[in-house]
Amino acid sequence: MRNKGAQISIALVCLVLGIMLAIQFKTTENIESSLLPERVTELTNKLTLVTEERDALAEEVISLRNKLQNVRQNDQALADLQEELQKANMAAGLFEIKGTGIILTLNDSAAGLQAGENPNVGLIHDLDLLILVNELKASGAEAISVNGKRIVAMSEVRCAGTTILINLDKIAPPIIIKAIGNPDMLDSGIQMRGGYLEQLKHLGVQTNVQKSEDIIIPAYSGTMKFNYARPVENKEKVES
Amino acid sequence: MWLLIIFCLLIGLIIGFQMPILLPVVFAKYMSIAVLAALDSVFGGIRAYMEDGFDNTIFISGFIVNTFLAAGLAYFGDRLGVELYLAAVVVFGVRIFQNLGIIRRYLLKKY
Repeated sequence: MRNKGAQISIALVCLVLGIMLAIQFKTTENIESSLLPERVTELTNKLTLVTEERDALAEEVISLRNKLQNVRQNDQALADLQEELQKANMAAGLFEIKGTGIILTLNDSAAGLQAGENPNVGLIHDLDLLILVNELKASGAEAISVNGKRIVAMSEVRCAGTTILINLDKIAPPIIIKAIGNPDMLDSGIQMRGGYLEQLKHLGVQTNVQKSEDIIIPAYSGTMKFNYARPVENKEKVES
Repeated sequence: MWLLIIFCLLIGLIIGFQMPILLPVVFAKYMSIAVLAALDSVFGGIRAYMEDGFDNTIFISGFIVNTFLAAGLAYFGDRLGVELYLAAVVVFGVRIFQNLGIIRRYLLKKY
């Protein structure tokens, strides 16, 4: 033991050195396990690759989302179109429909023709039918058929010699007019006091009105051709 | 004497490993130079001790100053873009080996 002070200072310095060494070991270990230079390049490359892949996938996600949205919108549009088509077909009379309503039966006068009497008086004319159909429409009929001929927007009721033409089909008495709608409204509308049906009765036409809970009206069977009519593209111009 | 050195070194290591301090990666390089300088100082001190020329002031001041100077030099080199820490590594490495050689010879003479 030559120098006690020297030993103490060496011991102290060794202590500090030990601490420093330990910290350095730990740090180096940490670095080596995670960040070797080659490892850094490797990881950088990998990161670049993975980043690119992620970006590509993100783009794919976006495009797929857009596609999904488009599909959804298409579905929506299709459903809307279907609904519109349904409505349009209903309005055009292209469906066979059923519902509540009235059945109006007409027949020519049973009374024998008297001498000097106008033979037209007791007969059912095209105008009679037209007026009755119009009356039914005004009473809120949603669908009308005459002797199984559906009355649609383009239907004509026209006299053709001894018969009546509806939808270019000949009909003859007895005439059965079916109308779907509120039965009470239709009934009271058609049998209105002083109405056209009453006038026909006075002229001798046999009439019978019958409410029904279950009326079936056939679809329009004619063709729908539009040779001249074209829809106008710009709606606003039509309105103005 | 040797037992004391090894004992203190071990205690220091244990304390260091138990401490929850982890140097940032950036400073690891400077710390390594500082450790090298400290190692050199310790070996120099041991050598001086064996040569009977040990001076407490020189030893302590040399330890502290060399440690910080080495680390500072390495940092300075990095700022300048010169790898000055290599110079420190070479110098301290050479000195450590010299000191170790001298210590070895003394030990051989002694026993």
